[in-house]
Amino acid sequence: MIGIVVVSHSPALARAAVDLALEMGGETPPEIRIAAGAAGGATGTDAVAIAAAIDDVASPEGVLVVMDLGSAILSAGMALEFTTAGTRVVLSDAPFVEGLIAAVVVAGTGASLDAVGAEARAALAGKTAQLEGIGDDPIEAAVSAPEGDAASDRESESHVEFDAVIDNPSGLHARPAAMFVKTAARYRADVRVTDLTSGKGPASAASLIALMSLGVNRGAKVRIEATGPDAEAVARELKELVAGGFGER
Amino acid sequence: MEQLTDWLRRFRLLVDEHQTELTELDSVIGDADHGANMARGMAAVVAKLDAESSANIAELFKTVGMTLVTSVGGASGPLYGTFFLRFGMSAGPVPALDPGALGAALRAGLDGIVARGKAELGDKTMFDALAPAVDAWDESVTGGGSAADASVAALAAAEGGRDATIPLVARKGRASYLGERSAGHLDPGAASSTLLLSALADSLRA
Repeated sequence: MIGIVVVSHSPALARAAVDLALEMGGETPPEIRIAAGAAGGATGTDAVAIAAAIDDVASPEGVLVVMDLGSAILSAGMALEFTTAGTRVVLSDAPFVEGLIAAVVVAGTGASLDAVGAEARAALAGKTAQLEGIGDDPIEAAVSAPEGDAASDRESESHVEFDAVIDNPSGLHARPAAMFVKTAARYRADVRVTDLTSGKGPASAASLIALMSLGVNRGAKVRIEATGPDAEAVARELKELVAGGFGER
Repeated sequence: MEQLTDWLRRFRLLVDEHQTELTELDSVIGDADHGANMARGMAAVVAKLDAESSANIAELFKTVGMTLVTSVGGASGPLYGTFFLRFGMSAGPVPALDPGALGAALRAGLDGIVARGKAELGDKTMFDALAPAVDAWDESVTGGGSAADASVAALAAAEGGRDATIPLVARKGRASYLGERSAGHLDPGAASSTLLLSALADSLRA
């Protein structure tokens, strides 16, 4: 599993953002380190502290650094010169809170550094789509990156689809969507969700942000399609997850 | 080496002296912390100079750069930190620098700032003061000038570059959020960079 380093001018902001992300990240979150504030408690960032955090959290799968703005970016860039981690380190240009949440949830599924980085980047597009009420383009963008091997499996593999009504209180938002993504990630199948009520989608279940961007509300009818070697198994478990109200009832 | 240590101490004094002015400049177009950040950073540098002696110039400026990186907090931490780290790397583990080597070290520091901040001439940053200063240094040395001569030429060029930032619209950092409204104000980073060259000229002429 990749490691995540959170860089902010403010230790309080970083802690709160990490808490929020962990609330959605579920039972198997990635290793996270915070490097926030400058020496002596001053507001700011410290490249040496960031490098130490990278070294501390480093795993063979790599490290994603999520940062706020201004000097955080300069300091994170400088930290790459100091780190002795010997693993791949990616500085994410994702928006701080949205990107961190996406990164923590997706990293928790064991996704690769590239997939997690792509998901974090897509967080802004997901937000844009929600605000504009136009889901199509950003959803496509988010889908394309973490697709992985699913596409190559598709031709020869089975396809299962079913319709279901989402009837848990919060709809397919943050926490249920994260559960959905995590469940889908355990199987070799490309899973897509279409909101038949609103007509939005399909969105890839490999992408938390894409899924959340559908804005599936309570009472909405969705179509869930699975393609790949494990299509039947994943469809069965997702059906149970939806029927069980994502444990919210 | 003693002159270079003296440079750093003089820079600290100048930053202290102009702390309020730097912060006021920064309060107009930035986040009002440049004076305090630089004063805190250079105080930490001088504390290090007092506490430990460096074996050579490379080591001295590595200490200076790393201290600024951890103690400044704002963007000037990695920017000035990179300047001094690259300065030291260019100088190497030697006890003294001739005017040409000092110019090369200044150039390496400047290049480091560019690599870090991606600033170009006219972006209304510290680069606008430092770039003409390093050019002037080289020109003076090429013409047979001493380090003291070169430092005076560099300071004059820095002052010119600094003052030329006044009408510019900022394209980097927080000031760039202000767009057109950043015009008409001196850039605080260009101001502190000019103090750096002022301190250098003072120590080389002393």
